[in-house]
Amino acid sequence: MSAVLIVEDEKHLADGLRFNLEAEGFSVDIAIDAESAEDLLLKKRKPYDVVVLDVMLPGKNGFALASSLRKAEQFVPILMLTARGEAQDVLRGFEAGADDYLPKPFELSVLIARLNALLRRREWLRSTRPVGTANEESATAPETPPKLIEFDGKTIDFDALELRSGNHIVRLTVMEAELLRYLIKHDGRIVSRRSILEDVWGLREDTDTRAIDNFIVRLRKYIEDEPSQPKHLTTVRGVGYKFISKARAKTKPSGKVDM
Amino acid sequence: MRVRSRRKSIAFFVTLGACLVALAIALNVGWIILNWREVALLVFGIIFFVVIIFGLVINTTFLIREIRRNEQHDAFINAVTHELKTPIASIRLYLETLKTRNVDEDQRRQFYDNMLADSDRLLKTVEQVLRAGRARHRQRRIANTVIDLSDTVRECLELARITHGLDETSLSLVEAPSARGAKVSGDIDELRAVFSNLLDNAVKYSDDHVNVSVELAAIDAKRVAVRVADQGIGIPNAQLKRIFKRFYRVPGMFMARVKGTGLGLFIVRSIVEKHGGRVFAESPGLGKGSTFTIQLPRV
Repeated sequence: MSAVLIVEDEKHLADGLRFNLEAEGFSVDIAIDAESAEDLLLKKRKPYDVVVLDVMLPGKNGFALASSLRKAEQFVPILMLTARGEAQDVLRGFEAGADDYLPKPFELSVLIARLNALLRRREWLRSTRPVGTANEESATAPETPPKLIEFDGKTIDFDALELRSGNHIVRLTVMEAELLRYLIKHDGRIVSRRSILEDVWGLREDTDTRAIDNFIVRLRKYIEDEPSQPKHLTTVRGVGYKFISKARAKTKPSGKVDM
Repeated sequence: MRVRSRRKSIAFFVTLGACLVALAIALNVGWIILNWREVALLVFGIIFFVVIIFGLVINTTFLIREIRRNEQHDAFINAVTHELKTPIASIRLYLETLKTRNVDEDQRRQFYDNMLADSDRLLKTVEQVLRAGRARHRQRRIANTVIDLSDTVRECLELARITHGLDETSLSLVEAPSARGAKVSGDIDELRAVFSNLLDNAVKYSDDHVNVSVELAAIDAKRVAVRVADQGIGIPNAQLKRIFKRFYRVPGMFMARVKGTGLGLFIVRSIVEKHGGRVFAESPGLGKGSTFTIQLPRV
């Protein structure tokens, strides 16, 4: 059973979400403000699988909470709920460390689908899950993505959500890892911002594609020696991005990776 | 001859003197003409300098004011968007739930209650925004009917008790004998909005412990006052006047905990002024509660 934390101060909305998510088989906790969410996620280190985070919270808002969680190395997938679904807000959300967003009012089925997508990605990315879910995974995912990728002296471990470069280890969020994986999959080919949004985030609406740029900037910091002069992750003006690795990707069978 | 020669010699000195004077004057005038430019430049320079500095100060002041106004406007749009979309999101969620899932009777009833409360909240926000829009038209006439102030205040108090789930001790009314039967002239709906806004604020800005008292008293034969006092978070001295401005909300942590559009007190002030009255706030400081007084002319 997946555990969801709903951070929402609007009681009616939180109760309605709880009812529906419990009906979908999730176990649900509700935090009414950022402080109690931090208490659950950081102090008590409760193992939630996904967080539904409202932006307009009393006191510390959702953006601030997301960034403080990421700073404290809490990489639980975050789905942000924003009343203002404008590009600026979406960008701020992604910048703060959210993995997905949904503008209010939302369709229940879409919310559940998004949550499941985040959970599925997490399952794909982490083989530390119980065996039962690993079987499910192979049924839903036709091709098993590589668990360990090396290029230019850097190793990306999709199991541990880590990027290792020498002795330096960078923790990745689910969506950072997912985007990196997508770019590596299209090694040497140009990918447009829109196709990234559609394939990685599953967003079909008219979202501002600049959301991607924030992620790219972050990824460059991780993988480039000189982020201002990228060698691996280059911008193709007016189109999108291109990932060029010089080394090959090593594919190891799922579940047998030594960590 | 002598005389002539004397005259000549005098004439010479007179001419010399006159020439010297003329020269002195010419020099003086010339000096003035020559230096006039510098003096003029200096004077003009000083004037221009003052004008430029003045212009810069005015420009900066306007810029800062404009930035503040933009920020307030932004915060207002945010707050209104939130206040409109949250109840819609909630109602939608419940409707979808009722449509797609099996919900038992008790739960169903609870969902209906939640949806009703949300639609009330939505209506309240819409009315507040429309009222604020109307409040901007100062010349707009108000309906003039004679209103029993005591009845109206009582009515609003009762409504606030129901909405916020409060009893008579936490939201009390004191009516001075002098104010009994006091009547004012105006629009009853607008005045109801005034009292409801003040009562909502008093409850909203009291933490968990709500203790609001409403006092109705006559000031003199011509005026009557309604005082709404709370034991809530209070207002800093410097903000007591600003809070009545449109979109204005007191900055800081306290206010961030309470949601609001910044329209309530603006509406209160506009309506009270249209009724020929005045409103002001008093507070001993942060954390020490605040009192809002409305004075209205009696009829």
